[in-house]
Amino acid sequence: MASLLRPSILRPACPSSAASQRMLSTFTSSSVKRTSPFAQQLVRPAFERSTIPQPTRIAAFHATQKMQILPPLPQTIQGTLNDPVPVPEPSPTHGSYHWSFERVISAGLIPLTVAPFAAGSLNPVMDSALCALLVIHSHIGFEACIVDYFPTKRVPLVRKGCTWLLRIATVTLGVALYSFETNDVGITEAITKLWKA
Amino acid sequence: MATTRSLARLATRRLAMRPAVFARGFASVQTSTAKEPLPDKDAKIKTFHIYRWNPDEPESKPRMQSYTLDLNKTGPMMLDALIRIKNEMDPTLTFRRSCREGICGSCAMNIDGVNTLACLCRIPTETTKESRIYPLPHMYIVKDLVPDMTLFYKQYRSIKPYLQRDTPPPDGREYRQSKEERKKLDGLYECILCACCSTSCPSYWWNQEEYLGPAVLLQSYRWLADSRDERTAERQDALNNSMSVYRCHTILNCSRTCPKGLNPALAIAEIKKSMAFT
Repeated sequence: MASLLRPSILRPACPSSAASQRMLSTFTSSSVKRTSPFAQQLVRPAFERSTIPQPTRIAAFHATQKMQILPPLPQTIQGTLNDPVPVPEPSPTHGSYHWSFERVISAGLIPLTVAPFAAGSLNPVMDSALCALLVIHSHIGFEACIVDYFPTKRVPLVRKGCTWLLRIATVTLGVALYSFETNDVGITEAITKLWKA
Repeated sequence: MATTRSLARLATRRLAMRPAVFARGFASVQTSTAKEPLPDKDAKIKTFHIYRWNPDEPESKPRMQSYTLDLNKTGPMMLDALIRIKNEMDPTLTFRRSCREGICGSCAMNIDGVNTLACLCRIPTETTKESRIYPLPHMYIVKDLVPDMTLFYKQYRSIKPYLQRDTPPPDGREYRQSKEERKKLDGLYECILCACCSTSCPSYWWNQEEYLGPAVLLQSYRWLADSRDERTAERQDALNNSMSVYRCHTILNCSRTCPKGLNPALAIAEIKKSMAFT
């Protein structure tokens, strides 16, 4: 009985590539004939009347605020249901090398942060190394945020803008730290003074 | 001073005009309640709020519908409650289920805020607390609690989840493994692809199109770790880009939510480790 009610298009066993362009959750009302004689006859009227109350009021369902940031687009599926998603070209510079580099930088920051305070002495070489690693570490960290939150497919211009903004900020930070190291007391000494102030 | 006052008045007016939607966080709207048919005197009535959306009426928004059930007449698991609602109260409620014992992975849904299998999730016996059932988060919905898993399965297909070999077995019969080699697959082969972990991962929510997600990566590692497979390098190349694996930021929602008690985060960490410094 129930299978008769179900629109035959809901799960095509072997869809053609043209049909599969429109996915299940993107159906419009015109594609499903609700007022077919089948549907009218097969709904159990007595059962429905006795147990299922009519909606007392219509209220919208909101998962989040009305002002949604990047609401989801209608679903699009590339190729047919039986194709795998396309596998991207291998690029270790953005993959494994990048990850290893990131971990080395993060691990290197720990001794560089602790050493000057533990030793109690100031070394300009260590100071500049700490600055350099900090700049790279923060750049990688913010870059990960941009890649996560601004997908190229969805917001290509915002993505580009954010990436350039980050690059400008990183260069500015580098120049600022350089001048602070050369013209002023340096980052370790500044933190020591702030701590003791 | 006058400026401040008028500003403050403006602010209050804007607050007053703000629709009630803004005050609400997650969906809390109930439209109708279906009551337990013929309740007993000592009935343990519990309320279930269930996400409803009908594709036949695309112009109407999703809503929450409430059902009250007598727990004395219902089985112990959430799936029993759902089946009872469908059988006795509302035949229009739609959900996937098959094995009712946690081996098929069909009934994955978000119950009281946790992605789990309805058949493995006990109904909390306190009747004062109301249960909320949603479909898997951030999935396209086919109807009510049924998510569209097309992309998930296409991603699974892309990792080639089968043994790839060029050389025939040495004894001409079967591909042998030592006990230690077999032991590496424990905790990997048990995955039933219910997608609870993938849909609990914020990275997967944000970049579903490119990031593979914990479930598919666990399966990928199952074939990377298999001693009989000879295409390890190719499999690693397929993952070696910025999006497929490295969108994992070790949030660990996957390991926390897995209804089978597996550890997809560990598998992803092993993938990253095996690809690092190579």
